[in-house]
Amino acid sequence: MTPALEATGLGKRYRGGWALRDLSLAVPEGRVVALVGPNGAGKSTLLHLAVGLLDPTHGTVRAFGEPVRQAGVAFMAQDKPLYDGFTVAEMLRFGRTLNPGWDDDLARNRLAELEIPLRRKVGRLSGGQQTQVALTLAVAKRPRLLVLDEPLADLDPLARQDVLRALMSTVAESGMTVVFSSHVVADLKDTCDWLVVLNRGRLQVSGDIDELVAGHRVLRGPVEAADAIADRLPVIAHERTDRQATLLVRSAQPVPDPRWHEHRVDLEQMVLAYLRDPGSSALPRPALAALGKDDRPWSG
Amino acid sequence: MVWLTLRQHRMQLLAMLVLLLGAGALLLFSGLEAQGYAAAHAPPGCPGQQDVCGEVNAGLADRYDAVYLFVGMLPLAAPVLVGAFWGAPLLAREYEQGTNKLAWTQAASLRRWLTVKLALLATAVTVSGLVMSAMVSAWLPGFREAKGDTSFANAGVFSMVGVSPAVWWLFAFLFGAASGTVVRRVLPAMAVAVLGVVTVTFVLFNLRDTYAEPVRLVTTHYETALDRGAMMKELTWLSPSGVESALPPFDVCSMPNTQRGAIEQETCLFEKGYQRVFYHHPTSRFWRFQWTEAGILLAGALPLGGLTVIRTLRRRN
Amino acid sequence: MIDFHLDRASGVATYLQLVHQVKHALRLGLLRPGDRLPTAKDVVARLAINPNTVLKAYRELEREGLVVGRPGMGTFVERTLGGASPAARARLHADLSRLALDAREAGLDQEDLEALFASVLGDTYREEIA
Repeated sequence: MTPALEATGLGKRYRGGWALRDLSLAVPEGRVVALVGPNGAGKSTLLHLAVGLLDPTHGTVRAFGEPVRQAGVAFMAQDKPLYDGFTVAEMLRFGRTLNPGWDDDLARNRLAELEIPLRRKVGRLSGGQQTQVALTLAVAKRPRLLVLDEPLADLDPLARQDVLRALMSTVAESGMTVVFSSHVVADLKDTCDWLVVLNRGRLQVSGDIDELVAGHRVLRGPVEAADAIADRLPVIAHERTDRQATLLVRSAQPVPDPRWHEHRVDLEQMVLAYLRDPGSSALPRPALAALGKDDRPWSG
Repeated sequence: MVWLTLRQHRMQLLAMLVLLLGAGALLLFSGLEAQGYAAAHAPPGCPGQQDVCGEVNAGLADRYDAVYLFVGMLPLAAPVLVGAFWGAPLLAREYEQGTNKLAWTQAASLRRWLTVKLALLATAVTVSGLVMSAMVSAWLPGFREAKGDTSFANAGVFSMVGVSPAVWWLFAFLFGAASGTVVRRVLPAMAVAVLGVVTVTFVLFNLRDTYAEPVRLVTTHYETALDRGAMMKELTWLSPSGVESALPPFDVCSMPNTQRGAIEQETCLFEKGYQRVFYHHPTSRFWRFQWTEAGILLAGALPLGGLTVIRTLRRRN
Repeated sequence: MIDFHLDRASGVATYLQLVHQVKHALRLGLLRPGDRLPTAKDVVARLAINPNTVLKAYRELEREGLVVGRPGMGTFVERTLGGASPAARARLHADLSRLALDAREAGLDQEDLEALFASVLGDTYREEIA
């Protein structure tokens, strides 16, 4: 199946240096993708490349096998830009004018459900309402891929929940692929099923969230046995007291040693562990083979 | 797309309409009023060059000068406003507010978005310039006898007739647009546009009399020999021995210290065989000069438009 | 109609929470054969969760034979849980009540009895839980 989003050897250099280097990933269609990384990791750069707002310095990015500008991709930028002087109705007309596939009924029904008045100027709406209008503009184009840059930033918890609910019901209805970036992992836990972690311009993790969670475990056991584990399994994070060691390891199978207690890993814990250790990565095998030092395949 | 352009720039379009309507009303009123005044006060054969016309000529000249206060401002003010309010914000506002990220990720291509915007606004500004030119040109003849033909010799009027306003405004629009793509912030882009347009205006106004080799006229009867609306470049004295100098000789006739004295000195010098030399451009060169200036401005506008398009379409950053 | 809710702090996977809630409703008779489960869209519009999570939960229920998906119509309850007859239920209820009274007279408090009950359940149903 053609990936909804596919990057090959993608790199972007600005005047100040590389924002993104040698990034290859493939996201299957129908996924809700969380793009996570600290500020300055290259999240916005990747998203701008994915929607054709930027041209790559190296490599290619394609959506559904087509150049991204022709692939029916919708984008909501970080600051949710809208024309402040336009009324909501004029923003809809903007969408209708610029998009042949525009679904005006969908847009109007959505705004009616959210009780956003069409005659109000965009600049006079609340932050949550502006996000909803921007989201409506993106969704009513009936895109196959919807890309959202920090859609939840600057929203209060209630508006956050409203936006996520609206987004998820659109996904349920249309089956579109969604990529959204956030630095708050908690927002993504229940909504996303694919995780992409970027760190310092490089791809660290890309994979199905359930598989990633199942493929990692937290081990707690005697500190003297920790090195033996580290020899056999990739250790993403470790904490040691003088007696006890707590390790986050990548392993699909339980560790047979009875001295170690196993715990399920929590998504947020796993993401943070990767971000703290930019050298380690969890990538599908073809991408992994391209890496240098950390490419030792883990034993199953 | 046309709707979007009109909606986004409706304030500018409206302001232009107000300017054109205001100028039209003023010029129409002034023209009709001057015509009425001349009909009521002019002796037979006036307005004209005869001495009896002096009073009505002066009355008409006053009326001309009052309107010229406004018209004479436009050659600088109108391009500055067009550059700052039409050109500069065109792309700078999109960049500044981030709305370019909205507009350029729609199904309609960026190329089309930009083409429609530039073409539509450039056309609007050019047509507005032509309308302004037509109105000023219709107003001028009522004062021609009293004031002479000012449309060539007067730099301000020259810039408001023919194709001049259209190309000037188009140039200013593209200058503003280009500065907006370079600076990407509204206020700095406006400042750059104002500075650029003002500079180009002063440079071209000073270069205008070099658009062609001036005609050299040697005469002592310039009232009749010289084209009344001619554009003057240089005025010198020619001695009987054939030496040309900018200043009159100080040891031949007595130096004047009044205006009457200057006329006496001139008459005295003419009697001694001196002549005046006029380096000038006759009014017949009006269109040649109009098109020369249009050519210069369009040659400047073209790369500015190209810069705007290239910098917008190239998505490096 | 069942109304799902989420306990985000529980640490239990979201799809399992949905599965448990359907089973619970089946046991209590809140859902009966023929009832339609809410559509994925309805569930996600309420809970702000990934639609695939709902589908995964429904697939799990389908795999266990509790519900059946009819394309274009929805997901319907196929059979109920706690299959005992009403008479058997009433008898067990009476037996357990008597047992609880016995336990109280023997000096066990509520927590003691719960622990005892859990341990018996563990022994009895061990293979099913594993």
